[in-house]
Amino acid sequence: MYLIGNITLYLGIVIAAYTIIANVIGIRKQNNKWIESARGGVLSLLFVSLIASFLLLYLLGTSQFQFEYVAAYTSHNLPMVYKLTAFWAGNAGSLLLWTVLLSVYTAMLVFSKEKQNSMMPYVSSILSLNILFFFVVMILGGNPFAMTETIPADGKGLNPMLQHPGMILHPVTLYLGYVGLAVPFAFAIGALILRRMDAEWIKLTRRWTITAWLFLTLGNMIGGWWAYLELGWGGYWAWDPVENASFLPWLTVSAFLHSVMIQERKGMLKTWNISLVILSYLLTLFGTFLVRSGVLTSVHAFGSGPLGTYFLIFMAFMMLFSIYIVISRYQLIKKESIPIESYFSKESSFLLNNLILVAGAFAVFWGTMYPLISESLKGTKINVGAPYFNSVMAPILLLLLLLMAVCPLIAWQKATVDRFLKNAIWPFAVGVLAAIILVVVGVKGTFAIIGLASTVFMFATHVQEFLQGTRARMKATKENIAKAIYKLTRKNQRRYGGYIVHIGIALIAIGVISSHAYPEDILKTVERGENIAIGDYVLTFNGLTEQTENGNGIVTADLKVDYNGKNVGSINPEKIFYETWPEPSTEVAIKTNWKEDLYVVLSSWENSEKITLQVKVNPFVSWIWIGGGIMVFGTAIALIGGRTNSTGLLKAFRAGR
Amino acid sequence: MSKNQKIITALSLMAAAIIIMTFASMPSAGSKELTISDVMANAEKYDGDYIMTEGLLNKETVQWNADKIELQFEIYDENETKLPVVYKGVQPDNFTEDVIVIVEGFISKNGVFEAEKVMTKCPSKYEGEDMENYDSEMHKEIYKDAQE
Repeated sequence: MYLIGNITLYLGIVIAAYTIIANVIGIRKQNNKWIESARGGVLSLLFVSLIASFLLLYLLGTSQFQFEYVAAYTSHNLPMVYKLTAFWAGNAGSLLLWTVLLSVYTAMLVFSKEKQNSMMPYVSSILSLNILFFFVVMILGGNPFAMTETIPADGKGLNPMLQHPGMILHPVTLYLGYVGLAVPFAFAIGALILRRMDAEWIKLTRRWTITAWLFLTLGNMIGGWWAYLELGWGGYWAWDPVENASFLPWLTVSAFLHSVMIQERKGMLKTWNISLVILSYLLTLFGTFLVRSGVLTSVHAFGSGPLGTYFLIFMAFMMLFSIYIVISRYQLIKKESIPIESYFSKESSFLLNNLILVAGAFAVFWGTMYPLISESLKGTKINVGAPYFNSVMAPILLLLLLLMAVCPLIAWQKATVDRFLKNAIWPFAVGVLAAIILVVVGVKGTFAIIGLASTVFMFATHVQEFLQGTRARMKATKENIAKAIYKLTRKNQRRYGGYIVHIGIALIAIGVISSHAYPEDILKTVERGENIAIGDYVLTFNGLTEQTENGNGIVTADLKVDYNGKNVGSINPEKIFYETWPEPSTEVAIKTNWKEDLYVVLSSWENSEKITLQVKVNPFVSWIWIGGGIMVFGTAIALIGGRTNSTGLLKAFRAGR
Repeated sequence: MSKNQKIITALSLMAAAIIIMTFASMPSAGSKELTISDVMANAEKYDGDYIMTEGLLNKETVQWNADKIELQFEIYDENETKLPVVYKGVQPDNFTEDVIVIVEGFISKNGVFEAEKVMTKCPSKYEGEDMENYDSEMHKEIYKDAQE
């Protein structure tokens, strides 16, 4: 086993190196045989990485504790699903996961119907270079097949907090996003090397980029969801360096997804788009560097091994390489750029959106790196923390919401102010109405009210877009509403898919703004029969029970919940003592209704008559998860659509060549 | 000036505005990251500063007063310098012997750290290959590395 595992890793290095060389020779000599051979290399890479992965899965599944990795992250009594998903519980496994995903993506590309495309050898080389890097790193700094010196009787087991469906999905989805961004990067560089300044690379990678973005979105959402359910501090986002690392590429890819539309339609913003793709890709490496290097203080336990350094070196190399390619082609890019025709147009509004997203990315980057910057300038590490991020990002996100509210109403090329105002009046009125209602109802906090009203404005714009389209369709085709909405969306999936994503963001914004502005929080020690009153809730403590389940000791507090004076059942926060873990872990109890979560944590107890509870009322948090679901749905629609457009053009393009 | 240039100028101005805003909201929000030894040696100097520091927990020193909701404990660094901490709150999960505890707050004149925030370094084995040999020696080593 040990032998097979290690052989696959070394073979991986050799084959990846060969694939790059074969591609380069093939390109130089214009020789299809070499290219063909490189394709074989990619296929072998796929095989090798798959063998390594299945081997690791087998070792984990059968608890082969003579392997370090298996002993470190699993134990005998761990449920099978967590034994297998421990695959990505540690460094070495995550590296292997990354490698296998890259290999799958590369193989999919190299054997796709675009395989004769002249960009493909370049793409294949760049991706193989990435694969090579990961194989090397596994050998040097994170070998999943390393052996232990003495075989332990049982493994260390998986931290109970990580035994949660959210933690099965969160790392994989993020990796899928990270890895996916290598594809548009490879195409962009390939196109540049070939001096092909048309939008072909963008069309070919559109789905890859959207898929990667979808997974980044999912990864972040699931991470937040898990933190909220499992960690017991009542929040879902802490602006921790590790979280920021995955938020940064999300911001730049979001910008890219908008600005590519301009290049596709108008041929503008070429340099910008290429820079965004390169930046997003580099940020994925940068994020990994941050997570693995331990240069920043974070509540996430980093190993401070050499792994971070490898990523830093690779990132620096890729960065210099990309900069060189871009600069050497800059005159060409510039020559083929087309100027913007009007100040007031969708083009300019997209530019503004890009500016704000990138500025947001910069602000997050700056805040994340500030401890290092301040240390080198002033000698003391200064952590800026959540207050900085909240105060900087709030106005930036507000601007984004407002842009989302007006952008769909602005026409391409040259919009007229009259028409825009006519379209904007109703959504704007709805937004104002929302603000008035909030003030009348007695909601406090100017900024929150502005934020919520802007969100409503944005939501109304999108609803109006759907309604207008549907009405026009119903008039023209005599279809009923449901069919008209369906057909409307089907006919223009990219556009309406995008709108659905925006609607999801509106829900998330409502959740984020109100849970930040209006949280209620009580920390109190109560004896049996005593009450805790919070918001519209009154909780009565009825006693503490203890029982054993599957070898784990569970301490449960029983609390009766009254909502607005009416009994709505009970709520039971717990602490669980896991057999394999010295300290108990918190099981948060949450009661959700349409507008708020009652969030109860059993913090500690003196005896069965006296406990300390942390009780929170978090308004609209469940809307965040619903909004996330809607975003995924919208992205899926945009992803499925838009095929006819691009391949049709491509065919015409190729016929002409 | 062409339209393009004008638009680019306008956008650059906006970018500059946002960046200035970013810098402007910086100092008020910061916490100084220091070592325990530094905090204890220069308690006077850091009076009134919002400080972040980290150390290993001495489990025996943990005292919990449920009625006042007050937690007291000591953390220490690799020089064995001890920092007594008072926190008006409950202990976080995984608050166990030799776990790395991150505290944020103020140092008082009598050398007691008044914490506003107490966190344990993510207990997870996830992402932590150094956690493989989970013992206090290893912890101290990780800790030392982190300080360098």
